[in-house]
Amino acid sequence: MSRLLQWLDARTGFRTARHVLLDEEIPAGTGWAFTLGSVLLALISIQLLTGAFLTLYYAPTPDHAYDSVRFISSTTSGRLVRGLHHFGASFLVVFLVLHLLRVVILGSYKPPREITWLSGLALMGLVLAFALTGYLLPWDQRAYWATVVTINISKLAPVAGEAMAAVMQGGSTIGALTLTRWYSAHVIFLPALLVGLIVAHLVLMRLQGSSGPLRPKGKPFAFYPYQAFRDTVVVSIVLLAVLAMAWNGMPPLEGPADPTDANYIPRPEWYFLGLFQLLKYFPGKWEVIGAIVIPGVVAAFLALLPWIDRGPERDPRRRRLVMTLVAAGVVAVVGLTTLGWRDRPISAAGDAWSLREIGGRTIAGYSGCAKCHTDTGLADPLESMALSRGAEWVSGHVSDPEMIAPGLREPPAQRSEREVAAILAYVRRVSRQPYPGYPAQTEVAAAVWARYCVGCHRIDGDGGKDGPELSHAGVKEGKPQDVATIRTWIEDPEAIDPLADMPSFGNRLKPEQLDAISAYLAARK
Amino acid sequence: MPTPAAAPPEPGRRKTLALIVNMAVAGIGAAFSGLLGVFAVRPARGAATERWIRAGTLGDLTPNVPVPRVLSVPRADGWYRARARETVFLVWDGAKQVKVFSATCTHLGCQVLWDGEAKKFNCPCHGGTYDASGNVLDGPPPRPLTTIDARVEGTDEAVLVRV
Repeated sequence: MSRLLQWLDARTGFRTARHVLLDEEIPAGTGWAFTLGSVLLALISIQLLTGAFLTLYYAPTPDHAYDSVRFISSTTSGRLVRGLHHFGASFLVVFLVLHLLRVVILGSYKPPREITWLSGLALMGLVLAFALTGYLLPWDQRAYWATVVTINISKLAPVAGEAMAAVMQGGSTIGALTLTRWYSAHVIFLPALLVGLIVAHLVLMRLQGSSGPLRPKGKPFAFYPYQAFRDTVVVSIVLLAVLAMAWNGMPPLEGPADPTDANYIPRPEWYFLGLFQLLKYFPGKWEVIGAIVIPGVVAAFLALLPWIDRGPERDPRRRRLVMTLVAAGVVAVVGLTTLGWRDRPISAAGDAWSLREIGGRTIAGYSGCAKCHTDTGLADPLESMALSRGAEWVSGHVSDPEMIAPGLREPPAQRSEREVAAILAYVRRVSRQPYPGYPAQTEVAAAVWARYCVGCHRIDGDGGKDGPELSHAGVKEGKPQDVATIRTWIEDPEAIDPLADMPSFGNRLKPEQLDAISAYLAARK
Repeated sequence: MPTPAAAPPEPGRRKTLALIVNMAVAGIGAAFSGLLGVFAVRPARGAATERWIRAGTLGDLTPNVPVPRVLSVPRADGWYRARARETVFLVWDGAKQVKVFSATCTHLGCQVLWDGEAKKFNCPCHGGTYDASGNVLDGPPPRPLTTIDARVEGTDEAVLVRV
């Protein structure tokens, strides 16, 4: 065995390599604070590995990206790999900041390590670029809308803003060309840069040696196994934490991207919440200050830090000015992130189904969808379907059966645009959350709402704006409205107000439908 | 932690630490290899569930004459929902039974055609022939045409085929 190893060593020099890699001299007193770089290296390795394996199943096209991510999440191993990639990214950002703070506090960027520092900052920028590009790939609502915001923000940059946005967007809208572009960046170009920069960062670090504690006492010691032991302990704890999060939590996947959904309020991933919050303080033409100027000044300050904070002193207690500025920066980032976190839009509906979604279920029920969409039918049941198609496809599918399977289906009754929209809303909702069950009368009322009322009236922010808002239709001028009055309004508005704009629905709705919608509206106080 | 006045570190401690580091690294490596391995080779999920597809009605058929029908068969291919077109022949016995054959020749997979005059299936590729019951008459096919389950159902006497 030893002769074989000797033979190998003579040809590959692996013993020298091992010596170079592991027997590095570490200044005495170097402790746990210096394990953060290794944690980052481990986390980045996890991202590269899980990312590479995710490409086995991921498809970067608007038609299939969402389905493929759903497919990945459908098995335990896929859920874990995607979870590690998703939560690993968050850990990566946290440890980047910790590593940066450690370097700043102990003055490790001081000569001769200025270039190491700059390469580290470039790596941080790269990681954020990874976060940004990776966010789009699942092609769900948050991915799509966060990218709309990102591209619009980049337009604010002076001079090159519009050109940059055009390069990021690829095509005339955010779509197929954007997705492939961001995918290529995320899996080819950025990783190549990342690996190159990491090698440079590590080589520089080894070249200059570890900066070590402020005042090393005693003789240096070997990296392996002493510092390697500390690294291993911290890395193991961090990896276990990432694994625990991947095990317990499903990475978010909202409904498929829908460029026509005007009601969606996009929010960024938590590590961009600070920037997100900052933007709110600079409305209108001042936006460029929050979006470009302030982040630019912070980046420039960090890049110039070795030249701002000159002199050999590393002790933070004697670098008051820099420490104060950095502390202020940390407080600002933490504060803004917290404010951004708390400043969430109150979703009126919460987890409850919207009236349109409930109505869509009723409409699908009487439209004969179940003729084909059953367990033994031509297509999957609506309840277990993963719908990733848009409104146009669905309306085409509902109104023109020949489009899907020539000669095999009987055409369902013609459905109005609103009914199709309701079916679409229902199928999208049910693919994320099982139907919770609502009273039969509500189901009937919801179908009436989704087919007729929704064109002019709104409830909980959904619907048209021509007629009065009906979220609190059960109360008028402080007085409760009874069912009979509401019923008359719907049946024949002119009987109550001769000048009413609302058409009468008395001859379009069946008595039980009139009863249901009136009772429903009267109950909304 | 090595004391500042580190004399040559004691070899026992060095060995223990090295062992712990090596084991931990091996453990992490094994765990990730296992997970990624399973993820990479897991069987494609969502194998097509069986479905009964309507292939026509008895009214469309003539007793004992094979009638071709092209079926659009939904196939789950991972996350991809595809539709395969598959040709079958329906042979009605004139009463309540319909036999259904796949049009795929059992030799090399070409699509056979029904020759109404000679009353046999001809494969255009290598000259295989089958009789109206799907049995091999001549040529290279190793097996009779594949039979597909079928049933007649409903007031309109729809022929349902299992795919």
